[in-house]
Amino acid sequence: MLRASAAAELAGVPTASLVCEGFLGQAATTAVGLGMPNLAVAPVPGHVDTQAYEVLERNVVEVTLPAVIDNLVSPRPEAVEVADPERTEIVFTGTFEEVNRLYYENGWSDGLPIVPPTVEAVEEFLAFTDLDADHSFGPLLPDNRAATVWSVAVNGVMAGCRPEYLPVLLAIAEALADPAYGVEHSGNTPGADTLITVNGPIAAQLGFNCEQGVLRDGFQANTSVGRFLRLYLRNVAGFLPWQTDKATYGNTWRVAMAENEAALAKMGWEPQSADFGFAPGDNAVTISRYTGGGVVTSVFGSTPEEMVDYLADGLAKIGGWEYVFTIGVAGGTYRPLLLLSPVLAETIAKAGWSRADLKQALWEKARIPAWRFEHYLGHWTNLVPGRRSLEDFVNMRRAPRVYAESADPDRLVPVCTEPEHISIAVTGDPLRTNAYVFAHNGMLGFPVAKKVRLPEGWEAKLSAARSR
Amino acid sequence: MAEYSVVWPRGPKTAKLVELAPRLDSLEGRKVAFLWDYLFRGDEIFPILERELAARYPGITFVPYSEFGTTHGEGEHEVLADLAHRFTELEVDAVVSGMGC
Repeated sequence: MLRASAAAELAGVPTASLVCEGFLGQAATTAVGLGMPNLAVAPVPGHVDTQAYEVLERNVVEVTLPAVIDNLVSPRPEAVEVADPERTEIVFTGTFEEVNRLYYENGWSDGLPIVPPTVEAVEEFLAFTDLDADHSFGPLLPDNRAATVWSVAVNGVMAGCRPEYLPVLLAIAEALADPAYGVEHSGNTPGADTLITVNGPIAAQLGFNCEQGVLRDGFQANTSVGRFLRLYLRNVAGFLPWQTDKATYGNTWRVAMAENEAALAKMGWEPQSADFGFAPGDNAVTISRYTGGGVVTSVFGSTPEEMVDYLADGLAKIGGWEYVFTIGVAGGTYRPLLLLSPVLAETIAKAGWSRADLKQALWEKARIPAWRFEHYLGHWTNLVPGRRSLEDFVNMRRAPRVYAESADPDRLVPVCTEPEHISIAVTGDPLRTNAYVFAHNGMLGFPVAKKVRLPEGWEAKLSAARSR
Repeated sequence: MAEYSVVWPRGPKTAKLVELAPRLDSLEGRKVAFLWDYLFRGDEIFPILERELAARYPGITFVPYSEFGTTHGEGEHEVLADLAHRFTELEVDAVVSGMGC
């Protein structure tokens, strides 16, 4: 919304931005990133969604309206540029405890101890890329700071990564900077979190866990790379709790996940990164933002037909309001993720099913009643104003015909618009019959994959790093 | 006790300070456009603002949010990229943009 105001100001048109009371801090920090710290804001008291119309009207007339008028006709205060330190400038010298205190008090750390980012430590990381330290993958909103190789290395040091992880960290930063991902939405109120998937031989080379407890902390590569992403969102994108990070609840970062490449090879299945054009054996990183997840425990059956109903049930019930990203807010952008333990995936593959076959079967069965779908869009929420029916969306050509095959409110409709929108990854305890499903945040964290670029002499550098 | 000389963890700014558009001397006789992200009751709030502004400023006119499309969601980038052109075309003098909630 502020981005729209900024575009108007750039076009020479004065603006007033309507902002609910609880979001004024976010507006102030976002405006700085837009280069317009003096952008004019008109507050709306409380939160509009819980106000009776009469209350809303009174608030708008008494509080918002005078501010709108003032925003448009009164001169705005002068904006002041604040200089930042140069990248190699020493900002502080002190003990481990003093450094940590400084970083915490300045909002540069997450509250856990960080590894002090000295120039020497950062340079150790930089040995693992052929890119220049000033190379930028692009700006990250809302702060609009460049995602540079140097800043990736600094935050990698702080997160407790090993220097040889840098190629993976750089691929993550590149993915964050891809406009398709939508990093600017990383502070939205549902508080979703990004999951990193690592594919290719690099996962084993760097010691990523892809087996039992794959989503649990306790493995340096998985844990520190996951922490890196959160620190990078904080320090470079600029997502700070109580400011631009408006997660109503939120949770700790997700540890990075690796697929079980050996199991995939044995089954002849492609990795998750194949959805983005990568071949088996390519080193790649995928990031995608998930609102939550849940385990599908003790899947029973010796054939895919016996398993698919239960797996589809997991996919159908993990989502809810997120279906506004299937139809409504951003059609066709809902991308749920199913994790299969190798024993489940191997049983399915042994019957001759490919990943595409499984996606098709899941799509046909992961369905919910139409009335329920419509309630998520605009009865229980007001996320899609106007209380339109699924039939309306089909008639407006904003949804496929499958959503209006009859007028029966109990008819079953798919949770995503296409079978290929269901992501599948093989990981977790190889010999336990559990699966896991993630609900997705749609275009507010759309899946993006990037190649992991290794430096010249990778094998030798890796070998030397391992012996340190 | 060991000491560490540390660097700054943030990235370089890419956005330079941008001067805001000049403010208007009055809203009288001006054309005000509404921009909406199609969230949080803008469909109720903009009509209230329109009614109240019209009562205070003779000759003021409005361009509805439907002229532009949603400023959030799948169409955001295209809608924002087209704003300057649309403002010129529609002779817009001021904008009220919502809803940040």
